Amino acid sequence: MRFFDPHIHMTSRTTDDYQAMADAGVRAVIEPAFWLGQPRTTVGSFVDYFSSIVGWERFRAAQFGISHYCAIGLNSKEANNEGLAREVLELLPLYALKEGVVAVGEIGYDEITAAEERAYQAQLEFALEHDMVVMVHSPHRDKKNGILRSLDVAAEIGIPMGKLVIDHNNEETVQGVLDRGAWAAFTIYPDTKMGSQRMVELLKQYGPERMIVDSSADWGVSDPLAVPRTAALMLEQGVDPEWVNLTCWQNALDVYAQSGQIDVAALERKPQVDQSQLFGENSVLRGQEPRVDAAVAN
Amino acid sequence: MPHGGPATMNPTRALMSTDRINQDLAFWLDAALEPHWGEEGAVWWAQALERVGAGLSGSTFGATLSVASRHTPRVALDPDADALAQADEILPGWNPERWDVLEAARVRLLLTRPDLEKDTFPQDLATLCQHADEGELRAIYKSLALLPEAERFSTRAAEGCRTNIVPVFESVACDTPFPFTCFDDLAWNQMLIKGLFIGAPLVRIVGLDRRLNPELARMALDLAEERRSAGRVVQPELWMCLGTHGGQRALDSLQHELASDHVVGRRAACLGLARAGHGDLVEPDSQLTLIRERMLAGDTGRRSFTQLED
Repeated sequence: MRFFDPHIHMTSRTTDDYQAMADAGVRAVIEPAFWLGQPRTTVGSFVDYFSSIVGWERFRAAQFGISHYCAIGLNSKEANNEGLAREVLELLPLYALKEGVVAVGEIGYDEITAAEERAYQAQLEFALEHDMVVMVHSPHRDKKNGILRSLDVAAEIGIPMGKLVIDHNNEETVQGVLDRGAWAAFTIYPDTKMGSQRMVELLKQYGPERMIVDSSADWGVSDPLAVPRTAALMLEQGVDPEWVNLTCWQNALDVYAQSGQIDVAALERKPQVDQSQLFGENSVLRGQEPRVDAAVAN
Repeated sequence: MPHGGPATMNPTRALMSTDRINQDLAFWLDAALEPHWGEEGAVWWAQALERVGAGLSGSTFGATLSVASRHTPRVALDPDADALAQADEILPGWNPERWDVLEAARVRLLLTRPDLEKDTFPQDLATLCQHADEGELRAIYKSLALLPEAERFSTRAAEGCRTNIVPVFESVACDTPFPFTCFDDLAWNQMLIKGLFIGAPLVRIVGLDRRLNPELARMALDLAEERRSAGRVVQPELWMCLGTHGGQRALDSLQHELASDHVVGRRAACLGLARAGHGDLVEPDSQLTLIRERMLAGDTGRRSFTQLED
């Protein structure tokens, strides 16, 4: 089966992860810009980060036959450093319109402060101006209220609900998002946000329309195989395979392909690893096949 | 250690200097791009050229370069043989055979800037590179040879060779006269050896045969020994890097390769021996029949290091 993980932070992951994802059928990923676990102190750090997710990371993914897209935006936590936030927002036109950028994201609220709201609004206006999809991060604390507010503000600015993805939903928030006509994404995390079993129950209750499964795997405890693992559980528990396809592939493709940045036909074809880029001291694979059960062969 | 500048080995003219050549380039690119524009693309393109021609500030130009990807068909430029011959006439060594439409459009936008000859342009180009994604970097590096006073950008191009992204490396190194004309020996030699490491096609490096040198031969021979110590096959293109340099050590290494069981390596070593003036050391051998014909015909230039497989 093929999978699209539309929210994963690959800069924080290893080549072993890429290999395991490719082996498990993950064919495409979206890497939204977010924070690095600690706050950045200068705009130059954002420049290099944005550059890496539109450049090197895409190249790294391609070496495993995985198509890498990204979303560019100022995350909610760092929006609170207002001086820096202004400088980062000035970078937006330089990065958000590049090839392979499928959305403005991940943006939204963390503590629901006034500074977060200003950054969120500014980025929504940018998205509207350039007819872009928006990927919204929902807060850990006061989640339900934060989600409703992010929907309201997006609607006020005029973002079409068909171009709005609200992420990190749970049992308490999903109905509100679906009722508004936006897309509801679910992050499958060990121990927190949402588990695979809960996801299966949600799917049975709400059906597959506008429902999206992702891993949001990053530098914390998380699982880059969360999408294929959840799909396996769905199938095991009798969920219609077409529903699995919709939530783990097609829905994400439908919403983000509105960007015009995804070559859908190419993605439908079986992925090809570009052998010409596999060898050499500087390539990611360094001429080796990553294996744990064999001596280091070079 | 002193390194000779390009002038010591290549006393040719500077790359681009006159308005006429610039106009020829613009004309060539317009002709190559013209059949690829759709209706929407053509409208955007006309506006973009006009805005850039009127003069855009740094980040606005950068955004225009980026957004080109959203209006340009993702297909090969595909210039025909006549167009390629013209390209080589406008700038000897320039071969846009493998360019895509987006690269050509971005190069054309760069060439349209009215400030190319100003002192501020190199800094602006550096900032552009700082914010560039892979596709933009490819276009920027492909444009360097076409810019006025191209030698101003040799440090930038050497930086491009430090990339780990092979298509970006090739944009600096291959199908362009820029490295041959503008790199010093250090940058030139490092580019060739790095090309071997990352599997970039050395056969497409313009002027390779004319800038072989003893230091490059020494580096290549060291690399060959490193590969053999590690039990690895020596890259056949490594034997392009010797020419008449390297003395007895080179001949020994070539003959070692000739005695190996690596067919492609043996054939490349034959060409290496011929380039060193010792083609006579190659004995008749069924694996080497076609290569010996090539050698007899005097076909031992860089382009002869292709089709070495059966």
